[in-house]
Amino acid sequence: MTNNNSAAIEVVDLVTHYGPREILHGINLTINEGEIMIIMGGSGSGKSTLLRYLLGLGVPTSGSINLLGKDITKISNTEMHQLRQNMGVAFQGGALLSSMSIGENVQLPLREHTRLDEKTMEIMARMKLEVVNLGGFEKLMPAELSGGMIKRAAVARAIVMDPKLMFFDEPSAGLDPVVSAELDELILNLRDAMKMTIVVVTHELESAFKIADRITVLDQGNILMTDTVENIKNSDNERIQSLLNRRPSNEEVKADEYLNRLTGM
Amino acid sequence: MNIITQEGQMYTIIRLEGDIDLSCSPEARKSILDVLQANKNLLIDLGKVSYIDSSGVASLVEGYQTAKKKTLKFGLVGVSDAAMSVLKLARLDKVFPIHDSVAEFENEDA
Amino acid sequence: MPETATHPLTNSLELLGRSTVKLIEEAGYYSALLAESLFWILVGPFIKRPVRIPSIFSQMMTMGIAACPIVFVLSFSIGVMLAIQMIYNLKTFGAESQVVVGVALSVTREFGPLITGILIAGRTGSSLAAKIGTMQVNQEIDALRVMGINPVRYLVAPSLFAMMIMLPVLTFFSDMAALLGGAVYTSIEIGLSFDAYADRTLSALAVVDVMQGIFKSLIFALIITLVGVSNGFSVTGGAEGVGKATTRSVVLSISYIVIADMIFTYFLNL
Repeated sequence: MTNNNSAAIEVVDLVTHYGPREILHGINLTINEGEIMIIMGGSGSGKSTLLRYLLGLGVPTSGSINLLGKDITKISNTEMHQLRQNMGVAFQGGALLSSMSIGENVQLPLREHTRLDEKTMEIMARMKLEVVNLGGFEKLMPAELSGGMIKRAAVARAIVMDPKLMFFDEPSAGLDPVVSAELDELILNLRDAMKMTIVVVTHELESAFKIADRITVLDQGNILMTDTVENIKNSDNERIQSLLNRRPSNEEVKADEYLNRLTGM
Repeated sequence: MNIITQEGQMYTIIRLEGDIDLSCSPEARKSILDVLQANKNLLIDLGKVSYIDSSGVASLVEGYQTAKKKTLKFGLVGVSDAAMSVLKLARLDKVFPIHDSVAEFENEDA
Repeated sequence: MPETATHPLTNSLELLGRSTVKLIEEAGYYSALLAESLFWILVGPFIKRPVRIPSIFSQMMTMGIAACPIVFVLSFSIGVMLAIQMIYNLKTFGAESQVVVGVALSVTREFGPLITGILIAGRTGSSLAAKIGTMQVNQEIDALRVMGINPVRYLVAPSLFAMMIMLPVLTFFSDMAALLGGAVYTSIEIGLSFDAYADRTLSALAVVDVMQGIFKSLIFALIITLVGVSNGFSVTGGAEGVGKATTRSVVLSISYIVIADMIFTYFLNL
């Protein structure tokens, strides 16, 4: 799947700020059609920030983000609106609307964007709930579900329009190993059956190695390396190795700067 | 997408071709339900389907349920790989009566 | 930090400056929200992305109909209170019977809209801030945006629409309840019959008096919705942030309501 050369996502020289602080320092990343790209990194590496910008939830300082051939930093609202119907996002906490039942949540994108028959929408929503093993749960409210079920329902909502691009934010965080493995399986199925291009932001190594076509490793707002699982594992980059082995790296201590930080000067 | 409806004596065959997505699945749904409304047994040929999304599959599901209620025969024929992987995702390959070809269906029927 | 010891005066001046800038920034944000909501209400239906009608109705129920009992109780009490005060004051001039005119004018022009505005700011403004703040914290707002559902169209416009209808209606209801309160007390205290009270009220009131109150309530509706919603959207930092935003929205909208009331009363009575 990896050697398909048309790019679904192309990020060029992406620089972003949060207030006066620069978070991403010029990211370049190409994600091919139909591949599963894992974005990995510790907390504060900028991986969640990168995801926000890929989703068009922020305006970058400079650089461009191409999704399905459209530069989302430049396109009109109408074009962005069209594009969003081809994107699905499973947020970390699910982000289901708490005022609606699970079924209504899953149907929401269909109701907003299509004129399909009522019956068709119901069946589609139920099918997606079956796909995530939540068949028969559509009448329940989000508050009545466990965390793992909410995450799966959120996946059902994200894929209900059969998007071409699918984004997962920390899919296995807070899930027990069995459910987490099921979700990994589902991600692989979505790529194979629905030909989706999938971006997964995670710090779970095990799941990342299992599902990734390629992995990109972020560190302090820079990409350290983007490569296949094998090459990442065998990389001799010290930061990557420390991330893989979960060892704190021996960062060089600049004595003066450190002292100033401690004393607040 | 192309919809070719072929009326037979015992059953009608609907041949779906090309991409079946949100823009055209309502049309496919209507053809399917129309045949069943006319109390005809229905075979749906998915051999030339290059892509089918879940709105298309939902129409097949609704068709099958309608046929069952009316005790009409319903089957999918020559399901293409593209269509099969989508059916498998929701485990629908275990639900629909799926036949390799029209000939095979006729043999079974007889 | 380069400059360490700042003078207390410059410090508080700086603080004043900062908060002024923040308030002006917020005023800009309110206007943008208002403009966007109006866009969705007016243009939305023509570009096939309408404001959800069921949501407008359900909000009209919760913010309007469900508030009727408490509006009635408070307004009735205000009416009684006004009657007590006025009869007491007018006694010195031997003009107790003029109480009807006094109550009628102060209720319709001032107390009806004001008490309703403050009550709904506490009841609905806070719940708007809490609802949207919680959604912000749970990434529900982000989820709406990535699904291509504009949060202003989906959440703000229906609330604004419902509020602009229900607050004037509640204000009128409050007027009636307060007048009833005045009538009850007056009939007990100085033996004026309900019929006579109603007659005198009607002859004392001009349409413009009631309209003045209704007009104010429209302004209050804008204030309550925009302050509540924008505080909700600006929530950061989890549940604690939601609590802070809720409190802030109530304090701010009640303050704005009272100040706006003063300004409008001045200009409408020039």
